[in-house]
Amino acid sequence: MKKILIALAAFAALVSCQSLKEEWQPVFTFGDNEPAEMKIWTEGDLSKYGFAGSFTTIKEMKQQYKKKTALENRMTSGHTITENVWIKGQVVSDDKSGNLYREIYLQDETGGIDLKLGKSSLYSDYKLGQWVYVKCQNLCIGAYNGMPQLGLEPDNTTTNEYETSYIDIQEIINTHVFRGAYDSPVAPKAVSESEISASIQAGFYGDLWGTLVTVKGLTYGDEIFALLYPHGILAHKKDNPYNRIFLSEAGTWGIDTWSMSKAKYVEYIEAGNFDKAVVGSGATKYGDILSKPRDYASQMGESVIAAFGPDADITYKEMMIKYATANYVSHYFKMGSTNVQVRSSGYAKFADTKLDSRILGGSKVDITGILTIYDGSAQMSLVTAPDDADNPSVKIN
Amino acid sequence: MKRIILFLTAILTGIALNAQPTGGVKGTVINRNGRQPVENAKLTLMQGASEIAAAVTAEDGTFLIPELENGMYTLVIEAPDFLETQVQVTVNDGYVKNMFNLSLTAIQRVAEVDDDSFAAFDMDDSGYNDNPTILFGSNDVFNNIAGYNFSSVRFRARGYASESQDVYLAGVKMNDAITGYSPFSLWSGLNEAMRSKETTNGSEVSDFAFGGYNGVTNIFGNATNVRKGLRGSILTNSTLYRLRLMGSYATGLMDNGWAFAFNVSARLGGNDWIDGVYYRSFAYYAAADKVFNDTHKLGFVFFATPGQRGAQNASTQEVYDLVGDNMYNSNWGYQNGKVRNARVRKTNEPIAIVKYDYTPSDKFNASATALYRFGKNGYTALDWYDAQDPRPDYYRNLPSYFYDANPDMNRNNDIKRGWSDEVWRHSDMYPELTHINWDRFYDVNRIQTDATGKNRSKYIQEERHVDQQDFNLAATFKYRPSSAATITGGLNARINRTEYYKQVADLLGGDYFVNIDNFAERDFAATPYKLQNDLNYYMKHGAAEKIGKGDKYGYDYYAQVRNYGAWLNGKFTFGNFSANLGGRIGLESFWREGLLRKGLFPGLDETGKKIVVDGVTIEPTYEKDGSVVTSYGKSKVSSFLTYAAKLGLNYVIGGSQRVYANVGYFNDAPKFNQVFLSPRTRNSLMDGITTIKTMSADVNWQYSADGINIRTTAYYTTIMDQSKVMSAYDDLQNAFSNFAINGIDQRNMGVEVGFKVPTYVVPNLSVQGVLAAGRYEYTSNPTMTQTVDNSAEVVMENVPVPYWKSTLLPDGTVKQHYVPSTPQIAASLGLAYNRNYWFIDADVEYFGESYLDMNPLYRTNHAVYGPDNQLTAQELEYMTAQERFDPAFLVNFSVGKSWYIHYKYQLGFSFNVKNLLNNKNVKTGGYEQTRMVDNTVSKSQYYRFDPKYFYMAGTNYMLNVYFRF
Repeated sequence: MKKILIALAAFAALVSCQSLKEEWQPVFTFGDNEPAEMKIWTEGDLSKYGFAGSFTTIKEMKQQYKKKTALENRMTSGHTITENVWIKGQVVSDDKSGNLYREIYLQDETGGIDLKLGKSSLYSDYKLGQWVYVKCQNLCIGAYNGMPQLGLEPDNTTTNEYETSYIDIQEIINTHVFRGAYDSPVAPKAVSESEISASIQAGFYGDLWGTLVTVKGLTYGDEIFALLYPHGILAHKKDNPYNRIFLSEAGTWGIDTWSMSKAKYVEYIEAGNFDKAVVGSGATKYGDILSKPRDYASQMGESVIAAFGPDADITYKEMMIKYATANYVSHYFKMGSTNVQVRSSGYAKFADTKLDSRILGGSKVDITGILTIYDGSAQMSLVTAPDDADNPSVKIN
Repeated sequence: MKRIILFLTAILTGIALNAQPTGGVKGTVINRNGRQPVENAKLTLMQGASEIAAAVTAEDGTFLIPELENGMYTLVIEAPDFLETQVQVTVNDGYVKNMFNLSLTAIQRVAEVDDDSFAAFDMDDSGYNDNPTILFGSNDVFNNIAGYNFSSVRFRARGYASESQDVYLAGVKMNDAITGYSPFSLWSGLNEAMRSKETTNGSEVSDFAFGGYNGVTNIFGNATNVRKGLRGSILTNSTLYRLRLMGSYATGLMDNGWAFAFNVSARLGGNDWIDGVYYRSFAYYAAADKVFNDTHKLGFVFFATPGQRGAQNASTQEVYDLVGDNMYNSNWGYQNGKVRNARVRKTNEPIAIVKYDYTPSDKFNASATALYRFGKNGYTALDWYDAQDPRPDYYRNLPSYFYDANPDMNRNNDIKRGWSDEVWRHSDMYPELTHINWDRFYDVNRIQTDATGKNRSKYIQEERHVDQQDFNLAATFKYRPSSAATITGGLNARINRTEYYKQVADLLGGDYFVNIDNFAERDFAATPYKLQNDLNYYMKHGAAEKIGKGDKYGYDYYAQVRNYGAWLNGKFTFGNFSANLGGRIGLESFWREGLLRKGLFPGLDETGKKIVVDGVTIEPTYEKDGSVVTSYGKSKVSSFLTYAAKLGLNYVIGGSQRVYANVGYFNDAPKFNQVFLSPRTRNSLMDGITTIKTMSADVNWQYSADGINIRTTAYYTTIMDQSKVMSAYDDLQNAFSNFAINGIDQRNMGVEVGFKVPTYVVPNLSVQGVLAAGRYEYTSNPTMTQTVDNSAEVVMENVPVPYWKSTLLPDGTVKQHYVPSTPQIAASLGLAYNRNYWFIDADVEYFGESYLDMNPLYRTNHAVYGPDNQLTAQELEYMTAQERFDPAFLVNFSVGKSWYIHYKYQLGFSFNVKNLLNNKNVKTGGYEQTRMVDNTVSKSQYYRFDPKYFYMAGTNYMLNVYFRF
């Protein structure tokens, strides 16, 4: 009997120890076992990833871009950096307000760059003022409607609208983008009209693009721009004019909010704000949105009508409500003779915030945001909400 | 020694008196299953509480207890691995009473597998449930073999959903009040205490319950049914946990009329196959019975199984292929170098039972049970606010998101695919990318510092609670007015209040989390009141609540369920023929009671007026019947009159054969979770809720003689008007949506064959096998209503799902769709050797015709026609196809032996190895995702997201060593 009990005890001990050693103990289930503080990269650490000891300025890095260095199988491509180029900059944007998406802007003393990280809610990881080191080797510098962007080589899409693509892959981010020390947020640079004009003249190579600026003394231009896609599923390509509606050249279309959430968009449509909007783009114009695609069948052709399916027999207006989604809006502001568009996303948390009546009434405003270039025009993206309690991006004088 | 002295004393006394009695008892102890003799069985002859004599069976199972006085005795038969049996013996006129064959029931090895192997599949929280049926039945050859051999492939008896299997404890139906699922996890780990049970198959009626169409199992659970003595066991296995320690002690019925029983266990550790799955579960059980006299008996039971276990998750085949492991589990990751599972089931649901038995005569007995279940049932998960999706196998993290060979998918970046592919193929080098990255959650949370210096957590671990307060009363009676008639019946009542809520389990390095609706914020960021999970708090404080660890948030509501029922059954015997006829009637009702006023659906205030927030009067939205859509307060009460009837016919042929048939009709209420559109957000019910109508019939033939056991059954069942609700993200709406499906009909028919036959060549060697061949198919095209969660907007209302039942292809081929998640053909053939307390089993199994669970959205015209609204043969076949799993062969082997030591102690072991061929490609279940790819080049068709699967483990073992005395 004694032997049996000893044997049993030995077996129990054996199994228990095995459990404790290999299986049981590593399974974290309770207790204080918090990880150590996150690693903050320093310049000294970067040699592990090939950093040779000196940084290239953002301006110099942008100089590597030579438009239309097309790869064989692509119509459009940016320039893939093959040398061991490193830049460093401070984070000057965040996506907390929802106005920016999947990108951060880095700025050094020579300029700024749009870093297309391709991840959402980047403000969780990248704080304003934080230093970031970027290994540019194998990344791609390109332009989107003239705006410098740093990402990866473009996707080989049928539209080829972009010269770069989002970095997307976390392992590429981990081996190319290194988060350094926290620092005070960069103060926005007050820019003059002449500085903006000079940057526009310089096009892609303008020094201001991608930097945090305050443009002072702007007045509202009583004009907006928005591109709407009435059918939610049909392609949004440039060569699909039957699925494009431009809100431009006719004032504000009654839009008095910084942009349009889905609900606000529907509200505007139902209120008749866009009833006179014309379907089409460029030289191809069909007619207003109160008609159905089938009404334009002779212009569009039967293949297009077929593509609409049953939606060919509802009005564009009905279609817009059916496929409603949030939409961006660009409001025009004037600085002397220079137009500055303030473009806001329909997914911004301040999308449905109304423009202050004083703005609409002609008061001068100072606007702070990331300055970009779009088709030869200056454009601003607000980082914080216009009426943010702590740091408003729009100040009325 | 004491007995020997007594025995010798008796002999000596007898000699002295020269009046040696000549009576006695003899017979053969055999195994009921297989009729083989049981060697070394211990027989104890009792007279009242006094032990008169003892004996042990010989190798051929025979025994003789001689020299007994005339009188009435109780013969207690005990043998390792068999249930203890008692028989009454009367010795008359000095003769040796020949008891002939005394059969013992073998203890089922399936019970040693542990009910947790089934509970582990409980993924209801994710909208997916794949519980198999647990087959019991110690006297049924089919269930004996299938219950053990089929458990690893999630076999469902006759293709029925697991909730159709009625499980009773001490006479009280224990199926979950909300979902109907069988609740084995409530007592898993208490194998000794819950070992005694009685079962019926199919539509058979039992003495304690009317039952449904998928059998009834009643676990006795009381003290006197726990095997007497002290027992301990140590178990290790390679698929669930490393170690199970179990101990039990039962007094049996003592002279003072009391019986006590105790059972404790611990299950600890991980396993060989699935990383992150672990157990830290405990169990305790205490019970007492008091027999006052022959008429009155009172029993008390209290038990619980507190503990936690890490759960497994399903992934797509792409992920499994990349990591080279079909057992990959996306639920875990390293924290500080240690494995941590995000999905942990934490339970502590004690159950208290009081049972009263009343036996005034041999002709009448009755019992009444009160049962109360309470406690906590939590299931952790990750939650995040305005942050990247933390799931490692999120589709945007996989190579297929970047490149697809089909150009229409518009995924063309082969370089990114290559990077992603590299990461996944070397997952051991990139654990932070291919498993949950816990450290990052801390990193993120620690830098979300607000103006007060506190860190707002972006990622937290939540704990979703389903806490039941379940009170049951059940009473049954059995009346035998004559030998030809037996009347049984009962009453039952259930009051269940289940609270659904979630609480913060871990702030992961942050200081607080904010109680707002992440999904609502996407659409209504500019309208703060709409984001509120607790609008009343917001109205009072002007801001959403900052919550800490242990605080409730998100949603909080009661599911209230009330069931009342009565049943009556009569069994009538006419010679070899018997029949039973019975019926039940019941009233089931349920409603939702919202405890939080949600900003999206605030409804009206307590006085019936519109809510005013931030100076704005909120216009309520309305249901179709004009009532206000609201998250707060009591919903409409859904009530259903339920009823059922059964007829059973039974004919015994010559004592060894039985032919019997059952037919039943059941009108059952749907369950709470099948009819509320979005109970987490509002009181809305789906339209057209009706009862589920089931007709079931079976015909059976059973043979049992000369060691041969055979049972064959043919069954036919139709189930009509089933409904279910699914919630998922819909890419076409860009919104979280609810899909309510109504009018699902199915037909289950097939045959079951089970046999065990001696080989007659090698003594004690039998051939055994089972075949379950069925056809479980859908017979209707249901309708579907889709609503968007953020607005209650109806996207599709009662649209047909025309390709649910089948698809008619242009070439005239009909592709039938089948009831999923169980093999429709399952077979087992093997050898069983049983001698001198050795048992050796070896079986080969085949499983085939198993299908993937279907998503109704893919079977709508909307999905099939695609964005161009043009139907093509390719689209039709692609979008509506139902995947059939590859068939599988498995080989299992078991061996065991027990030793009786000094006829007092028993030491034994059982060791089994399953899946000896190490087949790691056996899909046991899975589901289609609801999502579709709509960002295509051609805009002519949608593409399905890849389905997710579960796989069976490769070669795995279980070793159990036990000691009893």
